[in-house]
Amino acid sequence: MSDNSEERNLDYEAGTPSVVDMHSAVRREKILQPSGSESVGLWPLIFGAIILVAGGGFLFKNANGFSNSTYIETTYVPAPRPPSDGGEELVDDRPWIEKWMGEGKKVYGQCAACHMAGGEGGAGNPPLVGSEWVNGGTQRLGAILLHGVNGPLTVAGQSYNGVMPAWSTLSDKKLAQVITYVRRDFGTLPDGDDGIVTVEMIGAAREMFKDQSGAYNEAQLLAIPEDGNLPGAQVDPLTGEAL
Amino acid sequence: MTVQQATEEDIKDRALVDRSTRFPVLFFFTSALAWLFVSTVLGFASALKLRNPGLFEEAVFLQYGRLFPMHMTALVYGWAIQAGIGVLLWLMARLTRYRLSAQEQGGLVVLGHVWNALVAIAVICIGLGFGRSIPWLDMPSWMLPLFLLTYAALTVWVFPMYKNRRSGSVYISEYYLVGAAVWFPWIFITASALIGQEAAPAMAAGAASWFASNLVYFWMAPIALAVAYYIVPKIADRPVHSYGVAKFGFWVLAVLAGWTGFHRFYGGPFAAWIPAASGAAVVFILLAVVATYSNLWCTLRGKTQLWEFSPSLRFTAIGMLFFAGYCGLSALSIFPGVQAKLQFSFFQNGLDVLAVYGFFSMTIFGAMYFIVPRITGCEWPSAGSIRNHFWYSTYGILTLVVCLLVAGLAQGGYLAQPDIPFSTSFLNAGPWVIGSAVAWVLIGFSNLWFFGQMALMFIGKGKKSANPTLIHGGGHGDHDPQHVAEEAVAS
Repeated sequence: MSDNSEERNLDYEAGTPSVVDMHSAVRREKILQPSGSESVGLWPLIFGAIILVAGGGFLFKNANGFSNSTYIETTYVPAPRPPSDGGEELVDDRPWIEKWMGEGKKVYGQCAACHMAGGEGGAGNPPLVGSEWVNGGTQRLGAILLHGVNGPLTVAGQSYNGVMPAWSTLSDKKLAQVITYVRRDFGTLPDGDDGIVTVEMIGAAREMFKDQSGAYNEAQLLAIPEDGNLPGAQVDPLTGEAL
Repeated sequence: MTVQQATEEDIKDRALVDRSTRFPVLFFFTSALAWLFVSTVLGFASALKLRNPGLFEEAVFLQYGRLFPMHMTALVYGWAIQAGIGVLLWLMARLTRYRLSAQEQGGLVVLGHVWNALVAIAVICIGLGFGRSIPWLDMPSWMLPLFLLTYAALTVWVFPMYKNRRSGSVYISEYYLVGAAVWFPWIFITASALIGQEAAPAMAAGAASWFASNLVYFWMAPIALAVAYYIVPKIADRPVHSYGVAKFGFWVLAVLAGWTGFHRFYGGPFAAWIPAASGAAVVFILLAVVATYSNLWCTLRGKTQLWEFSPSLRFTAIGMLFFAGYCGLSALSIFPGVQAKLQFSFFQNGLDVLAVYGFFSMTIFGAMYFIVPRITGCEWPSAGSIRNHFWYSTYGILTLVVCLLVAGLAQGGYLAQPDIPFSTSFLNAGPWVIGSAVAWVLIGFSNLWFFGQMALMFIGKGKKSANPTLIHGGGHGDHDPQHVAEEAVAS
C-alpha cells in the first residue's frame, strides 16, 4: 500500500521539486518522539481517589438500588398557584379523610403487585378483602407492615406459605395512609371504629414492636391480641385535627 | 535521553503528506470559519432578542425561537464538525504518513461542498419554521440520513489510513481520532432513532440531552485531546510523559461518555438510577481530565515559557483549561442542591458555550495555527492579529460563560418558586443577557482577526519567511519557539 501511495503521488511530487524548501515549517519541526512511560506522581492519584469517592457516593446515594420502579423522591411541593387575573384561587377543599385515603391509594400501588388492585390477592398471595388480619385491630396490621411475614399463614380459612417484605423504610405518614386505605376500602371495620390510622399511631407501633428481629411467623402474630388497637388520639375526618 | 533528529527522508515525507492534504483541509478550515462567523452573528442577534423581544418584529425568521436553533446548528454542524473533520484529516494523515491521492483530495472537497450545502439548507429550513425544537438536532428529520451519509463518506478514510499506517506503534492521538470518527455516527443514529419515537416524549427529551452531552464527550473532546497530545510534545520537543496514563484517559472517556446526558434531567420522569448513573459518569470522567492534565503537564514541565511564544501551544493550553472548567462545572451541576438552583436555566447554555467555543474551538485554533503554515508553505502574516485573536476570544468566552452562569443563578432559583411568574425569573437574568450579547461581539471581533489572517493564508499572501510567526518577538532573527524561550529565560 505504501508503495502504491508513493506511486500515486509521483506526478505531484515531480511538479514541486522544491517542496521541502517551501516548507520551512516542516523543516524546523521537531520529530514526534516515542511515548514514554514515566510516573505522573502522587497528586493525580489523590485527585483520582477523591473523584472516585465523590462519584461513587453520589451514585449509591441516589440510585435507589437501581430499581426500575423508584423515581426520585422530591420534597418539592408546589404551592397553590396565585390568581393571575383576580379569579378564584384553586383550593383543594375536599375533606381531610378523602385526601388521606387518596394518598393511601397511591402508596397501595406498591402493595397491588401481589395483593392486586382490588385487594383480592391471588397467585399464591393472600387476599386483603375478608382477611381476619385486616378486619381486626390495628396492632397486627402495624406489626406485619413494619417487620413483614415469613412462612405459613392462614388467611380467610386458607393457608399461604410466602414472604411479605417489611415496609419499615416507608415514612410514618405513608404507612398510616396505606393502612387507613386498606382498612376502610377492603376491610370490614369493627363497630365504632372509623378505620383511621394516624402518624402518631404508627410512631407508637414502631415503639411497640421494636424488639422484633426479622419477619414474623404465624405464632408470633397470633400472640398479638386480635382486637388490639394502636394507641393514639382519634381525629376528625373532616379536618384531620385530633378530637 | 538521546535527542533524535529528523532525517532528510522524514522531512520530505512529512512535506509530501502535508502537501497532499492541502486542499481538503484548507477547504474545511475556511468554510468552518465562515460558519463560525455566521453563528456568532446569529448568537449575538438571539441574545439581543432575549433582551428586546420587539426587535425585528416583522420578520418571523428573526424571532428567538428560530434564531437560537439557527445559531446552534451553524455552530455545531457548520463549525464544530467541519473544523473537526479538517483536523482529523490532517492529523491522521500526518500520524499514519498517508498521502491522499488526487482523486481522494477531489472527493473530499466535493463532499465538503455537500456538507456545507446541507448545513445551509438546515439553517434555512429552521429559519422558515421547519425546525424540530430539539437542541442540537434542530434540522428537519428528512435531513438526518443525508447528514449521516455525508459524514460517513467524509470520515470513512480514517480506517484505511489507520490500517495502512507506516509506523508500527499507535500514537495516542490516533486512538482519539479513530474514536471520534466511530462515535459520532453511533450517537447520531441512536439519538435520531429514539427521538423519532413519538410515543415516548420523556425519552425523546432524554435522548436529545444524551446526544448533546455526547457530542461534547464523544466528538469534541477526543479531537481536542488528540490535538493536545500532538501539539504539546511537538512544541516542547519531548515525548508524551506516560503512554499508559494517556491510554487510561482514553478508555475512561470511551467507557463512560455514553453514560452521560441524563444527568441534566435529575428529578425528571426517569427511574432514579438513570440520572444517578449518568451523574456519576460525569464525575468519573474527571479521572480522564486528571490523567490528561497530569500527563501533559509533566510533558511540558520546565518549558512552560513556550506558552509566551507559540500560538499553537497557547491556544491549545487555554482550550485544555476550558476543558477542565467544563468537566468540573458539569460534575458540580449534578448534585441535587445545585440542580435545584440551576436546572433548565441559562446555566446549561453557558456550559454548552464553554464546551463548543471555550474548549473545542480554542484547541482547534491551536491546531490551525500549527497546521496552516505547513500546508500552505507560508507563515501567519501578523503576530498582532494572533494576539488580538487570543485575548478577545479568551475575554469573550470568559465574559460569556460568567454572564450565562450568573444569569442561570438569577433565573434558576426563581424558576423553582411557583408564586413568582415565569417572566420575573427571566427578567431577573436580563442584565446578564446583555452581558452575553457584548461577549458575542468580542468573540465575533476576535474571529474577524483570525478569519482575515486565514483568508490571506488561503490566497497565498502569508508571510514568506523561514521563521514562525510568534506571539512575542516574532520575525527577529533565527529562532524556533524553544530557542526564543531559552533566550528569554537566559536574559
